[in-house]
Order: sequence, then C-alpha cells, then structure tokens
Amino acid sequence: MWWRALFAGLFGAILTCGAAAAAFDRAAIASQICGGAAGMTDAANAMLAGLVDATTDDARWAAALSGAAIDRSLKCGPQDPAIVAPEGAVNAATLSPVEGSVGTSPLLSLKNRPLFETVRAAATLRSGAAVNDRGAALTALERRAGSLRPEFFEKAAEAETDAGLRSRILAVGQAALLNSPDMSKRIAAIERIAATPDRRSLTRIEALKSDPAYQTDPGFRMAVDGGVASIGRWLSVSNALNVFYNGLSIASILFMASAGLAIIFGLMGVINLAQGEFIMIGAYVAYAVQEALRAVAPGLIDWYLIAAIPVVFLATAGIGVALEATIVRRLYTRPLMTLLATWAVSLLLVNLMRVTVGTQNLQFVTPWYISGGRLLMGDFIVTWNRLFAIVFAGLTLGLTWFVLKRTPLGLNIRAVTQNRAMAGCVGVATRRVDMMAFGLGSGLAGLAGLALCPIYNVNPQMGSNFIVDSFMVVVLGGVGTLAGTAFAALGVGQINVLIEPLYGAVAAKVIVLLMIIAFLQWRPEGLYAVKGRRK
Amino acid sequence: MTVAVLVEGLTVEFGRFRAIDDLSLAIDYGEVRAVIGPNGAGKTTLLDVISGVSRARAGRVLFDERLELTGRSESAIARSGVRRKFQKPSVFEALSVRDNVEIGLGGAGDPASHEKVAAILETVGLSEHADRLASELAHGQKQWLEIAMVVVSEPRVLMLDEPVAGLTDEETERTAALIRRLRTPDRAIVVVEHDMDFVEAIADRVTVLHEGRTLFEGSMARARADARVVDVYLGR
Amino acid sequence: MIAPKPPLPARALDDRVFAGVAAATLLAFAAVALWPGLSGYRVNIIGQLACFALLAVALDLIWGYAGILSLGHGLFFAIGGYVAGMHLLEHSVATTGVTPDIVQFMGWTALPAWWAPLGSFPVALLAAIAVSFGAAFAFGWVSFRSRVGGVYFAIITQALVYVAMLLMFRNDTGFGGNNGMTGFQMIFGVPFQSPSVATGLALASLGVLGVTLVGCRLLMVGRFGRLLVATRDDEIRLRSLGYDTLRLKLAVWCLSAVIAAIAGLLYVPQVGIINPRVLSPELSLEIAVWCAIGGRGRLAGAVIGAVLVNAIKFSLSATLPELWPFVLSGLVILVALIFPNGLLDIGRWRPALLSRPGALRPQDAAS
Ligand SMILES: Nc1ncnc2c1ncn2[C@@H]1O[C@H](COP(=O)(O)OP(=O)(O)OP(=O)(O)O)[C@@H](O)[C@H]1O
Ligand SMILES: [Mg+2]
Repeated sequence: MWWRALFAGLFGAILTCGAAAAAFDRAAIASQICGGAAGMTDAANAMLAGLVDATTDDARWAAALSGAAIDRSLKCGPQDPAIVAPEGAVNAATLSPVEGSVGTSPLLSLKNRPLFETVRAAATLRSGAAVNDRGAALTALERRAGSLRPEFFEKAAEAETDAGLRSRILAVGQAALLNSPDMSKRIAAIERIAATPDRRSLTRIEALKSDPAYQTDPGFRMAVDGGVASIGRWLSVSNALNVFYNGLSIASILFMASAGLAIIFGLMGVINLAQGEFIMIGAYVAYAVQEALRAVAPGLIDWYLIAAIPVVFLATAGIGVALEATIVRRLYTRPLMTLLATWAVSLLLVNLMRVTVGTQNLQFVTPWYISGGRLLMGDFIVTWNRLFAIVFAGLTLGLTWFVLKRTPLGLNIRAVTQNRAMAGCVGVATRRVDMMAFGLGSGLAGLAGLALCPIYNVNPQMGSNFIVDSFMVVVLGGVGTLAGTAFAALGVGQINVLIEPLYGAVAAKVIVLLMIIAFLQWRPEGLYAVKGRRK
Repeated sequence: MTVAVLVEGLTVEFGRFRAIDDLSLAIDYGEVRAVIGPNGAGKTTLLDVISGVSRARAGRVLFDERLELTGRSESAIARSGVRRKFQKPSVFEALSVRDNVEIGLGGAGDPASHEKVAAILETVGLSEHADRLASELAHGQKQWLEIAMVVVSEPRVLMLDEPVAGLTDEETERTAALIRRLRTPDRAIVVVEHDMDFVEAIADRVTVLHEGRTLFEGSMARARADARVVDVYLGR
Repeated sequence: MIAPKPPLPARALDDRVFAGVAAATLLAFAAVALWPGLSGYRVNIIGQLACFALLAVALDLIWGYAGILSLGHGLFFAIGGYVAGMHLLEHSVATTGVTPDIVQFMGWTALPAWWAPLGSFPVALLAAIAVSFGAAFAFGWVSFRSRVGGVYFAIITQALVYVAMLLMFRNDTGFGGNNGMTGFQMIFGVPFQSPSVATGLALASLGVLGVTLVGCRLLMVGRFGRLLVATRDDEIRLRSLGYDTLRLKLAVWCLSAVIAAIAGLLYVPQVGIINPRVLSPELSLEIAVWCAIGGRGRLAGAVIGAVLVNAIKFSLSATLPELWPFVLSGLVILVALIFPNGLLDIGRWRPALLSRPGALRPQDAAS
C-alpha cells in the first residue's frame, strides 16, 4: 500500500509547511533580545520552540541571530536591531542591508550563553549547508539534548539527507526524550535506549539516577534500574562473546598448528619438533606468492591469501615428505632420537632462513576482505582477520576429517594408527602411509602459517612461539584423534584468553601447564585415547 | 583345602566393549588349570586383572581366601606371591640372562640366592648362556628365561600366558615336563594355551572362556566331547 | 697368518672408555693444578666444560639408563645457577659493601631480606640441593605416578622449562628478570679478578665431575643400575616381578636433578652471570644432544659428547659464530642416522644406513 504511505507523507509535509509559516515573529524576537537578560531568555526559548517546525529559511535566520548575539555583532540602538558584519550591517529581523546602524551589543549572561549556543546549534542543524557543519552542530547538541523538545530531532531527522547523520540525530533524539517532561515518554525513551546495549547507553541511563524523579517517581526509578540491569546483562554477554571469539581465533591457529602434529604422533609415535618451522615456511611461501602476484598481476594482489593456499600446502607437504624419507623413517623405532633429529632439522631451517632471507619481519598486504570488522552487539566486534583464521581452521578441520574418514589414504592412516603390524600384514604399505601422513601433517602446519600471516609477526623464529603450546594441545587431546585435538585446542585457547586479562600472559601459560599436568593424573592418555593394548 | 584364586563376578570393559563379563572362577592349590578359548575370549585380560595390570569394572579377585587383589598395584600383587609370564616374551634385553633371573628373585646377592639362580637356570637349560645378553637368545630360550624369572621366586600362584607359542615340538615337550615338575601341593598354576595336546598333557582341569564368559569347566577329555566347546573353539 | 682380533665385547669396550675418561678428568685436574703455563682463559674453558660434562652425566642417568628423556634439565641447572647468583651477590655485598646493579634496576633499596642466609656457602649449597630435589620430586611424583613417560614426558618437561623461562623473564618474579644476576665481586672472600679464582673453580668442577663419575658408575653397574635398565626395557614386566618402579624412577630422577643443580652452582661463578636464557628449551635440548652424540647409557659417552660439542662451540664462537647452528644440526643428524648409539660406536661401526632398518640394538626401544 505504497500510495497510502505516500499520501500520509504528502499530508504531513503540507501540514509542516503550514505550521512553519507561523514559526517566528522575527521582529518581536529581535527586539526581545535587546530587552535585557529576561527578554533574551524569552527570545531564546521562543526560537527553540519555533525551530521544531521552522523552515530552512527561518532556521538560517535563527542561526544568524543567535550567532550574532553570541559573538556580540548584534547592535541594539535607537533603530531596529541590526547585525554588524565586516561586509556591512543587516537588519536583525529581515536580514536585509541597512545603513549606519549604531548601538551597543547586549551582554549574554552566564545563564543565557548556553541557551543561545543551543539555539545556534539547533538552527545550524536544520539549515547548515555542509554535512560537516550539521554534524558539528549535532555534536554540540548532544550534551544539551535535554533542553530541546524531542519532536525537534524527529523533524530534523526527517529533513536530513545524509543517512549516517540521520541515524545519529535519531540517537540524540532518544536522549532528548529522556528529559521530556512527559513521564511516559521518558520511560519509553529509557526502554528504547536500553535496547541498544553498549557502554554509552549505560552511562546515559545511569546518569538519570541523579535526576530528582529517580527519588520521587517509583515508575521512573523502576525503568532506570531495569534499563541499567538489562544493559549490564547484555554487556556481560557481549564481553563473554568477545572473550570467546578471541579464544576461538587463538584456538583455530593452535588447532592448525597441532593437527598435523597429532596425526603424525598417532601414526608413528613421533613428535616432529620441526613443526613450528613448517608453520614458518608456510608463512614465507605465502609471502613469496604475494610478491609473485605483485610482480605479475598487481591488480590481484589482494587475493594472494587465497592463491597461496595450494602453493603453501604443496610446498610444506613436499618438505615434510622429504624429511620423512630422509630422516624420520630411518629412526622409526626410536621416537626420542627422532625428537632430537627433528629438532636439528628445525635449527637448520631457522638458520637457513636467517641467512638467505634475513631476520626482519616480513611485510604483508592486508587485503580488504580481512580488514575491519563489524560491531554485532554491545561491545562485541567481529573482526574479519580473526574470522578469516577461524573459518580457515574450520575448513581445514572439515577437509582433514574428510581425508581421514572418507578417503583410502585416511583409511590406511587409521588402520596403521590402530595396529601397525596388522595393517602391514593385510597389505597396507605402511611406509608409504607414513610418508603421506607426514606430508599431510606438514602441509597442515604450512596452512597454519598462511592463516597467521595477516595477524602475526612473520620471521624465522616465529615457529618456536607455537611449538610448546601445540605440544600441550597434542598431549591434552590424546593421540591421533582429530576431535581430541580440536577440543584440546579450544580448551587451551579459551583458557589462555580467560586467564590472560586477569593475571597476564605468563600466568596463563603456567596455569595451562599445571592444568595439563593435573589432567594427565586423571587421564594419562589424553582426552581421547585410542583403544589399544599394552602387551 | 583353601582356594588359591577366587574370581567373583568379574567384569572388565574397554570403552564400551566387555572383554570379561560377570566371570566367576575358583582355582585350587595343587592343580594345574588350563584356560583356553578362541582369540579374544578374554584369557589374557583375566590374567591382567589378577596380576593388577588391568582394572576391573566390577567383581573381585581373592588370593588365598584372605587377600583382596583387586585394586592393588602390580608390584604388591607380585610380592604377595602371584606371578605371571606375559604372552609376548618380556625379558630385559639389555641385561644378562643371570641378571634377569636375579631380578626375578628380588635381588639379595647372598650365596643361597646364587644357588637358587643357578638351579633354575639349570632347570630351564640356560646355564651355559648365563652371561649372554638376553637379547641374544632365541625365541624359545626367551620364553624359558621368562618362566625362570617368575618361577625363581617360588610363587604360590603361577600364571603362564601361552608358554609354548612359537616353540618346536621338542621344546614344547620340555616345557610340559617343567610345568609338571613345578606342580606342588601348595602352588596353583594357571596356563593359557592354544596348543591342545600340550594342555591335555599338563592340565588337571580346563576352563573354556568364550566372549568373556565361562563356557565349560572340567577335564580336557570332557571338554573335547562338549558340543558347545567344539562349536566355538575346537572345531569339528 | 695372523688371526683377526675378535671384536671387543660391548661391556669391555665401555669399561675401557670409562677408564679413559676418568683418567682424562684426572689429567685435566692435574694440569690445571700444576701447570703454570695454562692461561686463565683456558682454565676457565676447562672449568666450564667440566660443568657441562656434569650436566650431561646427570641427563645420562635418567635417559641412558632409565630411558626417561627430560627436555627440561635446564630447569635444575638454573636452580643451581640462581642460588649461586644469590649467594655471590650476598657475599659480595657483605664483603665489599658495594650495592650491586640488580638492586638499582629492580627498584629495590637492598637485596631481599630472605636472600641473606644464602650469603653463607653451606646454606646456599643446601638450598640448591633442597630446591632442585623438591622440584624434581614434586614433578616426578605426579608424572611417574600417572605413568607419563616416553615422548609425553619429554614434551611436558620441555613445556616446564619454557614456562619457567617466561616466569623468570618477568621482573616481578624477583630474580633480576631479563638481566638476571651479574656483577659478582667476591667469592669466598677472594676478588674475582684474582687468577686463583678461575683455577679454584675449575679444580672444584673437575673434582666434582670425577667424584660424580665414579660414584654414578658404581651405582650403575650395581643392582640399582640394573633395575634402571630393566625399567627402561620393560617397565610392566619389572612391576609384575614385585618392584615399585615409581620409587626407582623417582630416585634416579631426583639424583639427576641434584647433579644438574650442582653443575649450575659451579657454572655461574665461572661465567659471572645467570639469566633466564639458561632456561630456554634449546639449551635443555642441547644437553640431550651431547648425550646422544657421545652415546647414551654409559657415563663416559655423556662426558665425551658434552666436551666434544662444547669444544667445537667454543672454538667456532670465536671465529665463525654463524656456522655453529649448522654444525650442530649436522652433527645431530649424522649421529642419529649413522651412529645410533653415539660416536663411541665408531670403534665397531656397522653403518646403520646399510643395515636392515629395524635391526636395532636393545637400548633402541627407549631412544
Ligand atoms: N587394553 C585393551 N584395550 C582395548 N581392548 C582390549 C585391551 N586388552 C584386550 N582388549 C580386547 O579384549 C578382548 C579380549 O582380549 P584378550 O587378550 O583377553 O584375549 P585372549 O583370549 O587372550 O586372546 P588371544 O588368544 O588372542 O591371546 C579382545 O577383543 C581385545 O581386543
Ligand atoms: Mg591372550
């Protein structure tokens, strides 16, 4: 029923125009200003009242007059009051030029000055030519919103052409309603403000506790208390969401860093201490892709994160396979020696990178699709770069799960994990499975490096920052289960963000370690132990 | 006569899988009891629980009608006189044969124990290998070494998990002779085996386990005749 | 024709090598004590090497014999080191009255009152032993009780030393933070500039090393050592023979920790500084590397490995420090692949690369 709306709109417009015609008695107001402090107050109030329905022209006049009163360019003399400007003098009522006006400028009292400033701001809001002027006027009004009639803001919002400013005007209008003399409107405004629960609304409503009505009017007091409580509730929810979101993004990185570790550990009983360096290499390969794009197709450089995915995976998986084939396989029954050998490899990789590329942090482009974020509710902001890591980890989890559960390679990996000898007997090429799994695990670490590069410092030593945390995840999650790794990563990530603001990052690490040691008392095999025999 | 090992209402679970299901069993002193049954019947698990390696979900194990074994540590159970040989030969490969047996005895370098060690090595025929590393022994010799390790402490209850698996006929024969010699009125011997002729040669009674439950208990001859035992285990 | 000599049995070889290492220690002791031509720098290096050898012996006790790899032994070394640091600071203040730098950058007015007893050496020695023993006992008890072992144990000890490092890096922890402790003036009433200090410390280190070597050797060839090897080979078997392996492991673990702490106690006065970098996981890993390179499960191997690796490190750091990580990683990979039981195997080298994979010596299971 669009036409009905149209009609209503037209009608409204006509009515406002009609009212506007009678908005100001300009001459009367101008002479009132010249009539002492009491007259000035009356004049200002009259302008404030009239501004609700004023036309743009009226508003412009009010802005000029109040401005003149403030900067003392208004002259009250024997003739009609006039505004004296460097370009010449104008009649204060008609704004038409006059000759040789003389007189004194009335002084604004302490009480009247803010009143006139309000008038000027309100009038500028209605008549300013530039959006910036109107915005500045609104900012000036924000603190005095209570002295204006609520309808003023409604009307101003209707007339406003800039969408952003319009919503700001409406928000300030809410605040104006808070001080409306009509108690039911005040209460309604409190409820409406409480509906957008953020810190500003909270301070605004809490300020009302010092309002006299808070002591005298039980309904008002209830509304205020209810508003404060509900905003508080929402704020704590949004705080919790923030913490959870941060934890989730840390957990995502941890998961990707440790998933490969856990798969390899489950399969071969071997911890790859070079896993952190695979993360580092992943980030470096991503950098190489970015630079290649910059050289070849600079227009597409924002997409390097996506383009690098297959490159990073293949490169790190390839290095992993090579490591398995040359070193790890030969140490097959000696897991502790493997630990040392892979550590030596990590030392080698870090120093190779240092010597060839240098120790400085790499500079990454931040693509548009991961910059910024969105305020969802209260203080809860979803930042795109963290979301990228989370989504990326989610996809990785899904894909890895698929590989493990639905492909022949996955079947073989699971078979060898559960009973190597048996799997070998029924014809699984266990050595090949080891190699592929090592490649898969290394590739996952490389992807972790890719997901890290927009949010983390990338340098040759970066791997060592993750390795202890991801070991903890593997120990906690148990051997060779993706679900265990995912839950353990979530746990460690969340505990870290929960404790960090309270006691600091180091304490968070201490507590995580203590909890893991305590946890192993209860379940020495980790969260998800693969069923197997000891003898 | 006191019962050496009394198992009552024993249940063992691995995850959701029941390896032993409400099993009850009594083994007397002086008898050689064979526990047989198909692969996965729960034989090893039964020994695991008696020797404290695995924990039971329900039920209890009583030793000598006075000592509750459930919940005790492996070492406490072993010290009370219940010893076992594992299914997979488990010897200390980096130690000499003699060291292995001495550890089985519990140390004490006095002359009496030296004699004991020498005697048991003689019995299992490893005297001339006493100073070799256990890792250098052949499979059969490792089996015997492990038997020597558990026997040297003169346990009241001796449990042997597949003592002749992988042995030649001649070695099996010698093992049977050894077990017959170890059989004394104040010792109970439990043997888990798949070799039916061997079982027939040594066992006073057999218990047939199937899916964690007792299927049959009695003499080997009667077991061979029992239709269900033939069905699930011995085959036609 | 001359018949080829039969290969030496492993044990006899070990005996000879041990005798050689013990003799070398004695020789070094004599040289430091009696040879005036030895420069102070050399004496200092010998003293440091002795401390590293001691540290390697400590790790070999638990890794080589009991099969428990600790990647966190730097923690115990640091306990000894920090106690030594506090002792030297207290002693320096007591004898010279000069306020050390640490007071300034920590924002204190004087050294913390509770450090005062550590000014006496016997108290400091006791404290180092007690704290390292207590820490080892607590951690070992919870870990061994829940039967954490193998790779899990290695990883958790690594996390332990890492977390300890983070803690010590903080200023609020109260041990000098990032800067650690340095600026020691006096030791046993003798100023550090005096050349007799380096000699004395080197002699003390060599002496402790010799005594520890002989003591541990006696312990390891005896019943205790055999039981440790049995634990390493098959812990469940040993338990089922009536042994309490928790106690065994705890005993050797605590012994090892105390030896490591004493190594730290001797080391810090020789380098004149202790800071959280000794707690970095890399140093703890390096200790394991010394043992692996020299050969595990025979104390002489640990000493040889520690001395060899650190001698290379010292000589390279003077000339080509960038080369060191490459040399180290190359050495580790070489040893892991070709001499799985350490360089001591060169004598009876059968290239592991050529032999059938899986044909490994018994110790391998715990490596
Ligand atoms: N630690 C364990 N974890 C999970 N399952 C186990 C464990 N130990 C035994 N099982 C399972 O319990 C069942 C019984 O095992 P058990 O070893 O007792 O059988 P068994 O009768 O000794 O068989 P076999 O004759 O092959 O030795 C088997 O299905 C086995 O897979
Ligand atoms: Mg069995």
